[in-house]
Amino acid sequence: MRIPCPHCGARDAQEFTYLGDANPKRPEGMETTEAAMFDYVYQRDNPAGRLRELWYHGAGCHAWLVVTRDTRTHAIEAAEPAKPTKAGAAA
Amino acid sequence: MSDAAMKPGWTPRSAWAGILSEGSFGAKGSAGVIVTAREGLGIASLIAPEDGEAALSQAVKTRLRLDLPTTPRIAVLAGRALVWAGPGLWLLVTEDRTGFADDLQALSGLAAIADQSDGRAVLTLSGGKIRAALAKGCMIDLHPSAFPVGSAALTSIAHIGVHLWRAEDGPNGAVFEFMVARSMAGSFWSWFSASAAEFGCQVTIPRACHVGRG
Repeated sequence: MRIPCPHCGARDAQEFTYLGDANPKRPEGMETTEAAMFDYVYQRDNPAGRLRELWYHGAGCHAWLVVTRDTRTHAIEAAEPAKPTKAGAAA
Repeated sequence: MSDAAMKPGWTPRSAWAGILSEGSFGAKGSAGVIVTAREGLGIASLIAPEDGEAALSQAVKTRLRLDLPTTPRIAVLAGRALVWAGPGLWLLVTEDRTGFADDLQALSGLAAIADQSDGRAVLTLSGGKIRAALAKGCMIDLHPSAFPVGSAALTSIAHIGVHLWRAEDGPNGAVFEFMVARSMAGSFWSWFSASAAEFGCQVTIPRACHVGRG
């Protein structure tokens, strides 16, 4: 699988590290409930199909990316820097 | 290293010392791959702060008369190069260390700067078969149509992080600069020498070792 890094161009997936779903936002730890924190830490959807996910280009530009990928076909719809949207950051 | 160099009994040591040896190896005949060790380079990483890229770019323009590349490219003038190393991240690479400390000092308020001169190992690679040799492990397309003069890339070769860029063409055609972490120099050479041997490889180690810092 090749990931079209918005900074470096298309690169082999071995240059990247996978984190997972880009959608969960970390709750404010001091204010949230234990159940909400449990959901954030442990619960993930496992969709067969389109998924926004975080990849780290560790062997390249050292940027975090949000890659929109079909988990059935590995077809990549979009790859964009995670920074502007602060994907994965605290809510 | 500069502090250590002043103490008696301490001698600066090339990153390639004990790894490269001058001469030819591999296939006989004219060398298809030409390797030159780089010594005495000034290397520093520059990281722009959040929203500070414009100010850094302006200062670099004034001080070095170079434009900060915002794509995987290099900007070169008068023995100094700025090499793109990621979004908001660059390397300043100078041919020698004369005035290097002054350059870093001039930019120090505008970027997080770290001297990497003794932490990286650099080889200049050229020769008629250089792309064939590199293709054994380098996933970057180095064909001139995809990687023209001035292009830069970060990648992984044989599990070793490599920063590479293409300098001006020389008498042997395309010229690539390959930079690895100093601690990985031996591992990189192990891969490269095995890959280049079938084409015949000529190694040059320049006399000039570490030049005093300016």
